[in-house]
Amino acid sequence: MLSPERLALPDYEYLAQRHVLTYMEDAVCQLLENKEDISQYGIARFFTEYFNSVCQGTHILFREFSFIQATPHNRASFLRAFWRCFRTVGKNGDLLTMREYHCLLQLLCPDFPLELTQKAARIVLMDDAMDCLMSFSDFLFAFQIQFYYSEFLESVAAIYQDLLSGKNPNTVIVPTSSSGQHRQRPTLGEASMLEGVEASLFYQCLENLCDRHKYSCPPPALVKEVLSNVQRLTFYGFLVALSKHHGINQALGALPDKGDLMHDPALDEELERL
Amino acid sequence: MIPGKYRSVSGRAASNVEFKLNKETPSFPGRLLQHDLERNYSSRQGDHINLVSSSMPSFPILQRSSEEKILYSDRLTLERQKLTVCPIIDGEEHLRLLNFQHNFITRIQNISNLQRLIFLDLYDNQIEEISGLSTLRSLRVLLLGKNRIKKISNLENLKSLDVLDLHGNQITKIENVNHLCDLRVLNLARNLLSHVDNLNGLDSLTELNLRHNQITFVRDVDNLPCLQRLFLSFNNISTFESVCCLADSTSLSDITFDGNPIAQESWYKHTILQNMMQLRQLDMKRITEEERRMASVVAKKEEEKKRESHKQSLLKEKKRLIINNVARKWDLQQHRITNIATNQDGKDSDSQDHCQNDGSTISAFPEETGSLDSGLTSALQGLSVTDTHLVEVDGDTLSLYGSGALECLDRNWSVQTAGMVTTVSFTFIEFDEIVQVLPKLKIKFPNSLHLKFKETNLVMLQQFNALAELRRVDQLTVDPQGNPVVNFTLWKYYVLFRLSHFNMQKINGTEVTQNDMIMAERLFGILAHVASSELPQYHLISILGDARKKQFRYLLETKGKKPGIVNEENNDSKRLVGESTNRATLNYTTRDFYNEKLEEIKEKKKFCKMYIEDLVKEATEINMKNEALQKLWPQMFIELVRDAVMEIRNKNSYMKLCLQQITDQK
Repeated sequence: MLSPERLALPDYEYLAQRHVLTYMEDAVCQLLENKEDISQYGIARFFTEYFNSVCQGTHILFREFSFIQATPHNRASFLRAFWRCFRTVGKNGDLLTMREYHCLLQLLCPDFPLELTQKAARIVLMDDAMDCLMSFSDFLFAFQIQFYYSEFLESVAAIYQDLLSGKNPNTVIVPTSSSGQHRQRPTLGEASMLEGVEASLFYQCLENLCDRHKYSCPPPALVKEVLSNVQRLTFYGFLVALSKHHGINQALGALPDKGDLMHDPALDEELERL
Repeated sequence: MIPGKYRSVSGRAASNVEFKLNKETPSFPGRLLQHDLERNYSSRQGDHINLVSSSMPSFPILQRSSEEKILYSDRLTLERQKLTVCPIIDGEEHLRLLNFQHNFITRIQNISNLQRLIFLDLYDNQIEEISGLSTLRSLRVLLLGKNRIKKISNLENLKSLDVLDLHGNQITKIENVNHLCDLRVLNLARNLLSHVDNLNGLDSLTELNLRHNQITFVRDVDNLPCLQRLFLSFNNISTFESVCCLADSTSLSDITFDGNPIAQESWYKHTILQNMMQLRQLDMKRITEEERRMASVVAKKEEEKKRESHKQSLLKEKKRLIINNVARKWDLQQHRITNIATNQDGKDSDSQDHCQNDGSTISAFPEETGSLDSGLTSALQGLSVTDTHLVEVDGDTLSLYGSGALECLDRNWSVQTAGMVTTVSFTFIEFDEIVQVLPKLKIKFPNSLHLKFKETNLVMLQQFNALAELRRVDQLTVDPQGNPVVNFTLWKYYVLFRLSHFNMQKINGTEVTQNDMIMAERLFGILAHVASSELPQYHLISILGDARKKQFRYLLETKGKKPGIVNEENNDSKRLVGESTNRATLNYTTRDFYNEKLEEIKEKKKFCKMYIEDLVKEATEINMKNEALQKLWPQMFIELVRDAVMEIRNKNSYMKLCLQQITDQK
């Protein structure tokens, strides 16, 4: 507990990294909202329950989108909750449209934005035929990537566009690097003839991105793994690869592996009882 | 040609024909009736005559003995003489009656000199055209029955004509009779007439026989001031409208319609009687007082019915217009049509306003329908009608069109009407607005079991959660038009799952099977479980609200058992148990409400943030101080110890110092 790294951070940064303040603020807010009811059985008990639910991941149920999006833990909990609640739909084998999945999301979060679902659908459908039906597992994993890493993906998209149009973001960041200047000319020619961008170059940009920004991004090592298999790739190709990568899924920790997606013995038991 | 026996020139021609003199004076103009003529006018044989062949080869000349001339100076009978042409009749200028019945005459000729002629009978010949009569200005009776006449013509000078008999010919049109102002009897039976008109001018006509024609309509009869008898048997009249002019004839007392299609109708007798109050005989039978009374009663009933159905169709039309208007407004609202159309809208709604205004608002509450026929109150009852919304109660269905219609739920409804309503239909209303009035619906229409939604913007499965607060719903119909939610694969199962406590029978017309229920549970059961058992307590309670807290907590403790059986609590909770409570937390708040709530929370969030920040600041300050203290403490401790040791180094001076301190203190 008293590890050196933990004590190395100044207070605010520590609190921020663990998102402690977010939960504190939310707890106090909830308390204010329901003070008549809560005062009946005690504030201490309220706080116990609240933080217990945070640990269990049930605190995000039926909450507003701004809260769900606030911390990575919230996002992961939401993904997990969505999986648990609607796993049966997937098990049943129904293929649903993007709108219907969005509807299911809205059952758990009434103001969940449509754009996120649309973006997730685009990953599955490779930006094509948005009215197509999707399977539960495909959608779920794509949605996970889109939702959990949404800011990261936005930056990646920007980088991709830059690379496509021939600009190399690296040239801005590493001004006197000769490698940057060397690379500039070939990419111009290549981008116009072939699809997508060169994998290795892409990876370099991503690596810089991961270093630079503090919001969550997939472990760079795993990203490297994804990119090492191919020579060139498109944006959606990259995203699909991310969504299907087991390692990233495990690193996230919200959902089980694809093979186990339909299994949840605890809840199955509950289902039997109903 | 003239038969041989008449060819003798001189002397008396022995006529082997017996003849009987008709001793009766032929009933002259005063009493001549068509059927008298046909029946009583016996077939007379020809008079004792002589027919002489004249210089003109075709026309024989007729001569009578002077005795006969004196005896029957004014009449001449040439019946059944096998004549093919009219003979020249010499020296008989006083003739008043001429009878050519039953011959083969084809043309009326050689009688122009008989200017005193009053009675001319050409029945049963082969005459094809009326002609040769222009000099017979005194003629009063003209009998041309059973000939081959195709057209009524050349009667201009016969202004004294009293009886005109043209039955059994081929006449297709009534014409050229308008000048016969003394005509009393006109017989056009057994012709080819298809309609009757052009009768004006016949100011003395008393009897008109039109039997056995092909008449489909009758006109101008009301222009006949004296007409008493009209015979229309065996024609083609099928509606009263085609003979409606008869109603305006005050003189008619006797009429026949037998053999017409109209006589087969159920309404025939009383319609005729009702419209022709002046009648005394119908189809040759006297009309009794009883019949007349019956007729008027029936006619009144029909009138009433017609008025009622007219009112209904008017109502229906209004309804249709309003619904169209509401639909257009709805489409505008949904941005389906561009605003370019609004100009047209303005014009249309203006014209509809106009049509509304002269109809005036119809509010037929059950209490006020005393005036309506009891048999018709169960039919359509249009209630409040304006051009922006429509409310309609039709037996067991309450239909609401347009969002303004929701206000009707605030009105006072009679228990009877409200109790009868089992189906409520919503069209062109936003579902979110409907949600807000559902409690009122529950109270005002307790028997409503079937809900129908069309063009109500149902887009999310969540919206069905709102229906859970109703007492009971047996059937649900969600029309795909205007309700995108129907396109989802799982919508029915979700409805069955969320509203499982209603035990719905039908959704969109199809029966709900056991399998459907099982599937619904299978798909969404876990959601319910998660929603109930995994929600933190405080969250649960804030969603459910006061009333259900106790019940919910109690039921959670006895998890897994059906609520209905376990509930031993007071009757209050019993009433509340309608719902399998593990889904009670699945609520629906309309988007507007939700956003409002979020707005309200913003303030609190800001405060919380500030509060926590303050706390954090305090904590970090304390932490800093603590850390600083931690750092400085060793140094401080050493100094403390050093100071203390240095003080006690010299025992004597320390003792003195202490004593001094004590005295100073005092």
